[in-house]
Amino acid sequence: MSLTGPGNYYEDFTIGDVYRHARGKTIMEYDNVATTLQVMNTAEGHFNEDLMSKSGAIFPHRVNFGGVTIATVVGLSMQDTGENALRELGMDKIRLKSPVFHGDTLYAYTEVLAKDDSGQKDAGVVHFKHYGLNQDGKEVFEGERRVLIRKRGPR
Amino acid sequence: MPGNITERAKLLPKGNHYAVFEIGKVFEHHWGRTINAGDNSLFTTLTLSYNPLYFNAEYAKTQGHPGIVVNPLLVFNTVFGLTVEDLSEGGGPFLGVDQLTYHRNVYEGDTLTARSTVKDRRISEKMKGFGIVTWHTEGFNQRKELVVDFQRTNLVRIRT
Repeated sequence: MSLTGPGNYYEDFTIGDVYRHARGKTIMEYDNVATTLQVMNTAEGHFNEDLMSKSGAIFPHRVNFGGVTIATVVGLSMQDTGENALRELGMDKIRLKSPVFHGDTLYAYTEVLAKDDSGQKDAGVVHFKHYGLNQDGKEVFEGERRVLIRKRGPR
Repeated sequence: MPGNITERAKLLPKGNHYAVFEIGKVFEHHWGRTINAGDNSLFTTLTLSYNPLYFNAEYAKTQGHPGIVVNPLLVFNTVFGLTVEDLSEGGGPFLGVDQLTYHRNVYEGDTLTARSTVKDRRISEKMKGFGIVTWHTEGFNQRKELVVDFQRTNLVRIRT
């Protein structure tokens, strides 16, 4: 029995491949408000609807915390790009391209940018670029991610 | 409630504005946050973050960990969250993050604290009344070991 899938080891990623991840996620009030407050983010634009409905606010409604947008898009890709990861190494060039509101649905796409297995025998680093789109196909997020992924090894 | 209470009340404001962010200024952020099992489990499942290191203790032990590993994106989000009152509660959208590095694993029960340094600032040409500020934020565990660091860029209101 294996707890992780068979098709997402280091050897399975080819530079230049692009994936569309199967599941989307509708961002609900509990995703944004609960997570924003759980992580001690005190910016009211994420949890005070009255404030946002008044003139002078940048957005007309509470806006999804960008940290939740990032985590959701990377999360939607995780089974395919990190289920067999030994370690997440980092991210770079994260850009929040347009705001996400309650009720918007996020989808994730991933491109394989580079691979490097010079560091250790049983795993290698895969360099991904992730894209997050909303229900209208508008880009809301992009960012690069480096992950140390286990090798399947000799069968 | 006495009729004039809302008139007598003085606002106790929160957050900072553009003028405060002189390049090189350091903020030791408030509160800290102990990450418990419920935090990690809820965050990981709400974001569909399907690596069993983050939700299966027995699997994590087979990979050489003492128990469940805290989802690195929760580590990032929590360290980010701790910086908000000082850096960005004053208003202005979060634009991006660069050079995010996870230096060490975080485990359930670890306590995170945050520190930030102003790296850059300029007046926005596109958004009237806003500046663009970049901070370098570092997150530490209870042993003062660096667990994460990143550069964050935000729009910041020039005045309220």
